[in-house]
Amino acid sequence: MRRLGLAVVLSASVAMSACVQTRQIADLQFTPPQGDFKLLVMRPDVTVNSVTTGGLPEPRADWTEQARANIITAMRAQQAERGGNLQVLERRDQLPGVSADTVADLERLHSAVGNSIALHKYLGAGLPTKRKQGLDWTLGEEAVSLGRKTGYQYALFLHAEDNIVSGGRVALQVLGIAGCFVGFCAPNIGGGGQFAYASLVDLRSGEVVWFNVLQTGSQIAGIKFGDMRTPAGAAQMVERLLGRMKPGRAIRDAQRAQQRQH
Amino acid sequence: MCIRCLDVSRRSLLVGGAVAGASLATGAAQARIRPAEMVPLIGPGFRPTDRDEIGLWQQMDRVEEEIAGSTLLIKDPALNLYLKNLIGKVGGPAARDMRIYLARIPDFNAVMFPSGFAVIFSGLLLRMRNEAQLAGVIAHESGHFLRRHMIRSWRDLKRKSDIFAIGSMALGVAGGAAGVYTGDIAQLAQLGTLLTLFRYNRQMEAEADAMGARLLAEQNYPAVEMANTWQQLIGEQNASARYRRKRRDRGYDLFATHPAPETRMADLRVSAAEVTVPGRVYDHGRDRYLRAIGEIRPTLLDDQVRLNDPGASQYLIETLAQDGWNGLLRYYEAEVWRLRNRAGDDARAAQGYAVATQYADAPAEAWRWHGLSLVKAGRQAEGRAALAHYLQLKPTAPDAPFIRQMVSGS
Repeated sequence: MRRLGLAVVLSASVAMSACVQTRQIADLQFTPPQGDFKLLVMRPDVTVNSVTTGGLPEPRADWTEQARANIITAMRAQQAERGGNLQVLERRDQLPGVSADTVADLERLHSAVGNSIALHKYLGAGLPTKRKQGLDWTLGEEAVSLGRKTGYQYALFLHAEDNIVSGGRVALQVLGIAGCFVGFCAPNIGGGGQFAYASLVDLRSGEVVWFNVLQTGSQIAGIKFGDMRTPAGAAQMVERLLGRMKPGRAIRDAQRAQQRQH
Repeated sequence: MCIRCLDVSRRSLLVGGAVAGASLATGAAQARIRPAEMVPLIGPGFRPTDRDEIGLWQQMDRVEEEIAGSTLLIKDPALNLYLKNLIGKVGGPAARDMRIYLARIPDFNAVMFPSGFAVIFSGLLLRMRNEAQLAGVIAHESGHFLRRHMIRSWRDLKRKSDIFAIGSMALGVAGGAAGVYTGDIAQLAQLGTLLTLFRYNRQMEAEADAMGARLLAEQNYPAVEMANTWQQLIGEQNASARYRRKRRDRGYDLFATHPAPETRMADLRVSAAEVTVPGRVYDHGRDRYLRAIGEIRPTLLDDQVRLNDPGASQYLIETLAQDGWNGLLRYYEAEVWRLRNRAGDDARAAQGYAVATQYADAPAEAWRWHGLSLVKAGRQAEGRAALAHYLQLKPTAPDAPFIRQMVSGS
């Protein structure tokens, strides 16, 4: 449930508007994994809701399963393109030699660390002593020992949710826009959209090296910017969230300096 | 679920209109629900078939996984088996399907989740005087599941928020066309909708109480113990408030999610009388209960005493002692006084430790504090003897080296 809390906090941080937004933060020395790397994707936390006429998100089991399967397929395709080997966990007890409790502990620890990242990097409560230091969080020994035991270099934590506006709400939206012609205007009742975040942990150092938040949505119910229930929509979401990993600031500065020299 | 209630209010900022009827249905007092009317709505091996309920259960599976692996749980296998058997007894048709988890939280509470697993707080085990009282709480929680309360309140919320959204939008458009401002009515309707939601919630609680009384009596427990539980809780809250020179929140509130404790207690007394068959023998199972929780009772008392709520702690200990004082209760009574630390409390506590050590089942710590109090009072020889007894009982205590030094008198 703490996981849910993190999602709520983060979704509040990204301003609601009719568009697709991502905001990524990286460790100063971060270079996106390239070539022959081994990535462990922790069990993706996916939810697809149907938004009722009254605006309540109602979880849909079938859509959730569909979206989860699509996202996993899309991630496999994407990472294979980059040359990475990845395993996506479906259960906590899937890693040989690592107990389900250890995996659960790591997930909970990440949830707490993620909350802290959300607070200090996305909600504006910046720490004065950590200014311009990029992402400076770690999961510590526990993550390192997981890496040692399993041989993976990176772990990725993923949360994704999609809110699909129901027919009733779209009808209500149409009425709201129609009302504009008689002087009662409710053109943006909203309710739909996606929200996702991903967090990359370097299992050799235990540090969280890269973090990204994605929000899509419009204030007009019925207009959407992607749908995780379809393979294409899930691939689009994965591409938006994980596609353009930027290197850390120090690396970028160095690259820029190098370019100037040439 | 009430986190979601807030959504309703946010939506209302966007629209202006009203569902007038909703506000009128709330004011009237609720009548007691008769246990005889409470038939289980599900049978054994229930699985959801409706789309909304399937979605809810899928989410709850994740929640249960988190709870089942929580570090807050008390893992004691014997105690967990005892609780499992208890819910297996008073769980009605779903008895074999429900799961029960015991969390170490020193508070009076138990929660039933939509997919049929319950979480019992350890503070509940401290407060219950016998098996019937605990079974009553568990039966109440089972009642929520058997009467399908979670999905019913979700549907109620969904239906009312739909009606409110459509109604306010339609009225707003109509008002706009006619040139009338309808915002005030919308505000009123929103309040009305919220109140009916809370009222619906209270009704579910009353249903669960009635269902619980029935399940309890069917298993030969005295159903009146459910009412006694509430009486104890009211007493505890009064004592806690009195110590803080405050007044207890009595829970009579249109926005309350549960009926007021007094109402519940009174209704439960009547319901208990209804389900009790004259001439039948009912067993409150006190001995069984004390055997089951015996291992963790010191922990339960310790957690409570450390809450810094001396009014409640003292009331609880005295209530438990109505079934007979023992060394453990006497020791923790003295602990309440020592930690409270008002004028004269040190003397009171010293006396309490002295009394505790008179019982054969006094915990080792009673001897420790008894000894220390004696030493403090200048009665060195007696104090050392008591401390020596403490070391005998607990030779590996963390403070044993210090105490040993005191005893040797160097």
